[in-house]
Amino acid sequence: MFLKTHKSYLERALVVIGLIAALALAVACAPAPAAPTSAAPPPSAPVPTSASIPTAPPPVAATSGPAATSAPAATSAPSAGAGTTFSIAEGVDPDTLDPMGQTTTTVQNMVNYMAEGLVTLDPTGKIQPLLAKSWDISSDGLTYTFHLQQGVKFHDGSTFDAAAVKANMDRILDPNNTVPLRGVLSAITSVDVVDPSTVKLTLKQPTAPLLAGLTETTAAILSPATIDKSTPGYKKVDHPVGTGPYIFKQYTKGSQLVVTKNPNYWGKKPYYDTMVFRIVPEAATRESLLLAGQVDMIILPPVSDIPALQKNPAVKVLLGPSDRTIFVAINTTSKPLDNPKVRQALNYAVNKEAIIKNVLFGAADVMDAPIAPTLFGYCKTGPYPYDPAKAKQLLSEAGVAAGTKLAFMSPTGRYVQDFQAAQAISGYLKDVGIDATPVTMDWPSYVATMLKPQKENTTQLHVLGWAPGYLDESQQILQFQSDQHPPSGLATSFYSNPQVDSLAKQALTETNETKRADLYCQANKIIWNDAPWIFLWVQRFPMVYSAKVTGIQGTPIEMWDTTNAHPAP
Amino acid sequence: MARYITQRLVIAVITLLGVSTIVFLMLHLLPGDPARMIAGLLASDQDIARIRIQLGLDKPLVVQYLLFLGNLLHGNLGISARTSDPVLTDVLQRLPATIELAVISTALATLVGILAGVIAATRPNTILDYVLSALTLFGVSMPVYWLGLMLIIVFAVNLHMLPAAGDDSSTSFILPSLTLAAFSVALIARMTRASMLEVLGQDYVRTARAKGMRENRVLLRHALKNAFIPILTVIGLQFGTLLGGAILTESVFGWPGIGLLLVDSIFARDYPMVQGIVLVFSTLFILLNLGVDLLYAYFDPRIHFA
Repeated sequence: MFLKTHKSYLERALVVIGLIAALALAVACAPAPAAPTSAAPPPSAPVPTSASIPTAPPPVAATSGPAATSAPAATSAPSAGAGTTFSIAEGVDPDTLDPMGQTTTTVQNMVNYMAEGLVTLDPTGKIQPLLAKSWDISSDGLTYTFHLQQGVKFHDGSTFDAAAVKANMDRILDPNNTVPLRGVLSAITSVDVVDPSTVKLTLKQPTAPLLAGLTETTAAILSPATIDKSTPGYKKVDHPVGTGPYIFKQYTKGSQLVVTKNPNYWGKKPYYDTMVFRIVPEAATRESLLLAGQVDMIILPPVSDIPALQKNPAVKVLLGPSDRTIFVAINTTSKPLDNPKVRQALNYAVNKEAIIKNVLFGAADVMDAPIAPTLFGYCKTGPYPYDPAKAKQLLSEAGVAAGTKLAFMSPTGRYVQDFQAAQAISGYLKDVGIDATPVTMDWPSYVATMLKPQKENTTQLHVLGWAPGYLDESQQILQFQSDQHPPSGLATSFYSNPQVDSLAKQALTETNETKRADLYCQANKIIWNDAPWIFLWVQRFPMVYSAKVTGIQGTPIEMWDTTNAHPAP
Repeated sequence: MARYITQRLVIAVITLLGVSTIVFLMLHLLPGDPARMIAGLLASDQDIARIRIQLGLDKPLVVQYLLFLGNLLHGNLGISARTSDPVLTDVLQRLPATIELAVISTALATLVGILAGVIAATRPNTILDYVLSALTLFGVSMPVYWLGLMLIIVFAVNLHMLPAAGDDSSTSFILPSLTLAAFSVALIARMTRASMLEVLGQDYVRTARAKGMRENRVLLRHALKNAFIPILTVIGLQFGTLLGGAILTESVFGWPGIGLLLVDSIFARDYPMVQGIVLVFSTLFILLNLGVDLLYAYFDPRIHFA
């Protein structure tokens, strides 16, 4: 009945199943480049090579207005660039362009070209007016009154006003809508239209970081017609119809997002007519595109090539500041790591400077506090200098025998040179008698492993990066609060100190900025001394652009802004 | 013939059922919570719980499996967990780009591979044969990833001749197709050489030559046609592998095909999308195999389907 001369079909069917299974397995087990971006390294090479590990901005993070209207005015910038295009190659294919559904910094960054919020962050990380001209905060900190820009139109021609703000805020606050980064906005209990250009937010408790939360892309304001309750847009808009300097034109999944200049933009009009975001997951390919002159700018080149790119006169390297701290979280409930001396010893044991220079090619700065310097609440508490003798002494005082084994894991490709850095850290720990060989796994598995409840959690050391969505310590201290332990929270070192808990709680509702900064500073000192992490570095966010263009800025939350870009003179 | 095809299609359905079961189970065995991946690390417990219910992940595995099969019977591959768009729409939108690459590289590989194989087979153990053997060995062992980047550096960065990535220009397909074809060329050439050498030693080839037939006619009409069945098998299997090999090529070249989508979906634990892609891949693979089997009859009239 079947082919007379060849092996049975059943046999072949098995081969097909096997092939598919092997394919799926090989892909699943490949050393994990990060979820949103990145090319899988060949599955046959389980150990990452030194070059071209793409780095993915993790789905935790951030926003700013691309419109940086407060940026130093480029007075001499040409006023028009008819027919001109500016292309950017980046690694992340958007999961959604709906501001409300955002999780990933790079996607938020693209959305910011089209949609704006009431307030924004300037290139130094300060909160600035955007669609709100100004605001008043009541003395009890419970009422925020925003005075809105007038004469602003959405891309569909409708007028931006207080009713539009209310429609958007109500949508974001609807508990039936999925808003991953709702965060502090959930403190808002009601949104009231006072008059067409005034809107009032009422909070259930004083919430100091509320304005910071409003700078996030999540809170961008869209044309009410597109998000009406009766339209599918209420749950999810396909593309944002906002007030931004660029208008959505076309999105081809896996390929590119194209936006065009908003001729009626209320702020400073951009130079380039068209902005193209090309989705190129492989860092080395992005670099080639730039060097071949096929794009004007790339996000995240292969870090190992940064020194060569810096020497190349055809391009400019921007090592943008970031708020992403990279650290080794220490399970403070696991012996012998429950002893602060041991944790301090680990901090003294690692030569951070050497790793930054030789493994990260300079794309980071040593941490000298539990948070990045760009955050509100920062005060210098460190650093832990490289001192292996002191580390050994502390370990012996704590009674830790030489050759003690610790379980250590690190993601691969999630942060700049993460697994490579973990290997270097492991080497330094070996020098002081700690045996911690890093293992790696793909990101979803990694998250599942580190978020196991304390009783089942077997990790002792794990590499993690943390980038607050807005520049306020309230977003970082979550990592040190005892009510944030996994599985529901992300404080993966299971650190608890009642003093830190109480300081964090006070600071959240304290409305006096000086007092608030002081509360955080006290907490930072305690945390630094308790050392629930091996404090490593604050990552830089490398971007490279053609020397033929200028006016490109980075914001300290791993974003870029090219709305003021124009040809170099 | 019709009966044969029907039988094969029935078995194809059974195979697909097996494939989907394996994929379903494998995905659910992988650690990592899809709801957590979709909602983001900072999402509230309520958001995560709601997404879990939306995705049906709160139900027992058996129920989830039966629901999946039920939907499948209705031709419904579900909704992507990552983008909330219908899986089938996304897959069908991305599939043509992948098929385009696979078809072009298969055509290229077949043409070049057979030519190289025939040349090598007609001049066994000469310098030319050795050079071709060395080249094909190189092709088989070269990592796709590395070859792709080298081609980009030479043709896009240094010579400014071709686009480095994407599919937005009419010449965009050239580099990824070359990269994808390299491995198959080598395999097809080696198979052609071996198969041709075997056939060229047969009596009927000697007879054909003895009666004064022109060498080209001997080679193409008599030898190659008879040597073709194992070559065809390799080409068929290669085409299937190319669909898979596209995962790496598409990543290197930012080619918006289904391979890239598969990688994104696996890392997002987008169960419905991964299942959909694997099912579509498997269907193509099975149909392709059927096509190859039917072609056997053309090359070897002794084969009958009954």
